[in-house]
Amino acid sequence: MEWWEVLVQQTINGLTRGAVFALIALGYTMVYGIIELINFAHGDVFMLGLFVSLSWFTLLGATKTLTGLQLVTILPLVFLLTMLTTAALNVAIDRAAYRPLRRSTRLAPLITAIGVSFMLENVALLWKGPAPIAYPDVFPSVDILREWFGVDSAIFVTTKDLLVVGATIPLMLALHYFVSRTTWGKAMRATAQDRETAEAMGINVERTILMTFFIGGALAGAAGLIQGMYYNIGQWWMGYQAGLRAFTAAVLGGIGNMTGAALGGLFIGFLSAWSDQYISARWTNAIVFAILILVLVFRPHGLMGEQTPEKV
Amino acid sequence: MRRGLPWTALLVALILYPFVDRALGFQTVHAVSDGMIYVLLALGLNIVVGYAGLLDLGYAAFFAIGAYSMGLLNSPVLGSPLYGHPWSFWLCIWLAAAVSALLGVVIGAPTLRVRGDYLAIITLGFGEIIPVAIRNLGDVTVEIGSWRPIERLNLTGGENGVNPVGRPYLPSVPFETDPVPWYFLILIIGAASLWAMNRLRDSRLGRAWMAIREDETAADCTGVNPISTKLLAFALGASFSGFAGSVYAAKLQAITPGAFEFQVSIMLLCMVVLGGAGSLKGVILGGMLITLFDRVVLTQTTFMVRAFGRTTGVTALATADLTLWRWFFFGLGLVLVMLLRPEGLVGRRVRPAPITAADLEDGLEVAPAPRVDAIPAWLRERAQGGVAAATPILDVRGVTKRFGGVIALNEVDLLVPRGAIIGLIGPNGAGKTTLFNVVTGLVRPDGGRMIFDGGSLVGLRPNAIVARGIARTFQSIRLFQNMTVLENVLVGEHCRLAASVPGAVLRPPSVIAEEGRARVRARELLAFVGLGGQEDELARNLPYGDQRRLEIARALATEPRLLLLDEPSAGMNPREAETLTELIGLLRRELALSVLLIEHHMEVVMGISDRITVLDYGTRIAEGTPAAIQRDPRVIEAYLGTGYEQDLAGRESAR
Repeated sequence: MEWWEVLVQQTINGLTRGAVFALIALGYTMVYGIIELINFAHGDVFMLGLFVSLSWFTLLGATKTLTGLQLVTILPLVFLLTMLTTAALNVAIDRAAYRPLRRSTRLAPLITAIGVSFMLENVALLWKGPAPIAYPDVFPSVDILREWFGVDSAIFVTTKDLLVVGATIPLMLALHYFVSRTTWGKAMRATAQDRETAEAMGINVERTILMTFFIGGALAGAAGLIQGMYYNIGQWWMGYQAGLRAFTAAVLGGIGNMTGAALGGLFIGFLSAWSDQYISARWTNAIVFAILILVLVFRPHGLMGEQTPEKV
Repeated sequence: MRRGLPWTALLVALILYPFVDRALGFQTVHAVSDGMIYVLLALGLNIVVGYAGLLDLGYAAFFAIGAYSMGLLNSPVLGSPLYGHPWSFWLCIWLAAAVSALLGVVIGAPTLRVRGDYLAIITLGFGEIIPVAIRNLGDVTVEIGSWRPIERLNLTGGENGVNPVGRPYLPSVPFETDPVPWYFLILIIGAASLWAMNRLRDSRLGRAWMAIREDETAADCTGVNPISTKLLAFALGASFSGFAGSVYAAKLQAITPGAFEFQVSIMLLCMVVLGGAGSLKGVILGGMLITLFDRVVLTQTTFMVRAFGRTTGVTALATADLTLWRWFFFGLGLVLVMLLRPEGLVGRRVRPAPITAADLEDGLEVAPAPRVDAIPAWLRERAQGGVAAATPILDVRGVTKRFGGVIALNEVDLLVPRGAIIGLIGPNGAGKTTLFNVVTGLVRPDGGRMIFDGGSLVGLRPNAIVARGIARTFQSIRLFQNMTVLENVLVGEHCRLAASVPGAVLRPPSVIAEEGRARVRARELLAFVGLGGQEDELARNLPYGDQRRLEIARALATEPRLLLLDEPSAGMNPREAETLTELIGLLRRELALSVLLIEHHMEVVMGISDRITVLDYGTRIAEGTPAAIQRDPRVIEAYLGTGYEQDLAGRESAR
């Protein structure tokens, strides 16, 4: 491979990775925006999304590569079911572990979130075992450049790459529309700015928070499903790793800022792909965290976030 | 004497334990010693999390640094010259603690600008980076094109770790074969650490940590330097993990990067949170419970469940392994403790005191009028030390502050003569509090000069300004809620005390005398403001008016020459406000204290101010004596409102 082919290939890899990070990061950033909690368990909801979607495929009898008609029936159905499952799970986590602590110190729900994260990981470990789980190759993989365009190139772009982009962009657009154009979205933005005033204006804050966890969980589920179909592998600890990277993405974009989270996710995707290629995969984690630390230290409100001075 | 008895019993039990264990053939000394290492680590983490309130999710990194410092200094693997001498271990354990403390500062430094949960994430990041670095630095190859300046360099032992590690040596003590000497070594280190931590907590430094935990901004404005205080917490917390890590390395004889992952940090955090962050007894209890649970309960219950399964013929039970649920139980434990008992098992239960009939009457009761003879003598002495110069104590010239497009302060001038009371009034949003924030260093001005007692204040941090002699109170009361009334005032004295870490731990006579003097002064101040007898109450449990007076006492404890009061009578009834007016007047008369006062109670501010400055939209619109201000048409228009004069005249004649 020529050097530029390597670069293009790694950039495409980064794009698909980044799309998944972005979906997870959106859940982090929405929850943080509304209740100022780093929902540590969010990455594990993503991981369970992957396993849950696998169960839905199995239940629907789709364990082999889907064909024409199935792609427009079973696949959307599994998307819907998986997103509903993880959304319900996320809401349940909030009700059980975070809601009783709304008026507590800020660190208390963070500590419970870590606890929930450990519980979810352990559940996945006992459910699926410590070894990597093979995820069936349900989505057809076609080498686009060669098969569709007849271009003989070292660069490898498949229909799976299209799937990632094609699933992520509509989800993000829908979210953007929901948040900026609907009454629910307005309630969310109002609650994020000032919970008490929102309450005084007649907004049901608890219901708005519930909606936020619901949407965040649904996006994490979609990300899990996409991850499974793309990489065909799942492990119980992957939520922790992916969650930390997605959280880094959210911080990078300015936590609470949705566009920032999406762009941050892409950036972390590119960065980790390039780092794997040009430095060494074993250093990638350290590099991602070093960037997280640098951003938090020098621009604590992210690259796109606004400065909000403390009131005295 | 009676209090000492349980401690003596505990000590005897701890000393006898290994011999009893040997006699009965339990062979648990080994496991107990390991558990004690983790308890020691939890105690170090408690300094950072419990005292200073900095959530550290990567404390295992310090454990790793301690263990690897010992491992690399005292091992033949990388050819350290320190290996193989009888004194090696005893030297390296101190070096490891020093290295850990140093890296604690290095890792702590970037977190200083960051608060709360962001800080937690940074520590988590370091906790992830350190094991990755240890793994990868075992085999470093730098390749630039075909040039390899560094090839297969081993700095840390990599994935294989470091093995062996030099053992401690004492004549005729069998560290090689017997777990009992290890037990006593760890016991002695643990006891010494506990002793030092106990003394640190009850010192000037311990109070500073807790003040930072309660309210960093208020602590800064009370003379506590948040930067050095936090760094000290990180450094000391890390140094204890240096001891624990080096003993761990030497005892285990082998260290691998896998022993210092995120889970270890979380287990240590569990110990601290379960027992009660900030309580030494709690952390020890939490540590012992979790170690016991992890090492004994899970395995023993597994045995029992399996035996039960075999006798009843249920194969699922016969092959069950509860140790697989280990992390589930840790997670569940964290959640349950936070939900049911956030203060931990032995932490001080913090809840507002129930309102009783007595409290309600208390509010109606007139606060005792301040008495001249109650003024602490030492405050009087300080006041006489000041030179009655003709220059003003505070001279603010042309100070400007913009927030985005809003001009909060527009070329404001303000003069406070020595011993004067200056009122600062204006409508809401006029910039009064911003001016306070600029003078006390919380907000950096965009332009202008501020001269306090001959020196410029521009660019100084709040705590440095307190040290120069400016103290303040806050519009919305900012006490250290979960500290006692006495401790609140003692934090005020922080910048006038000198005890350092060795002083606080070893307590030479000078430190004992200083601490005793500080307590006497704090009590005198509390008696003066009318809070005598409530020293041991938590600040949050005080009624509103008392909280205001405690804030003033805390400000006075910093020995100020200029006192900034931000709406001190807000929320007070007329009689309480009257007592407050008397108190302020007394401070000026008897102590020559200058006062700058933001106030909306016109009777208070007109009654005691020598001169008044009026702000409106960030601009000074008037300055003069109270009488002149009341007649100034611009002030009446902007703030007092037309009809104020008649209203005032009517009230005067009604008296």
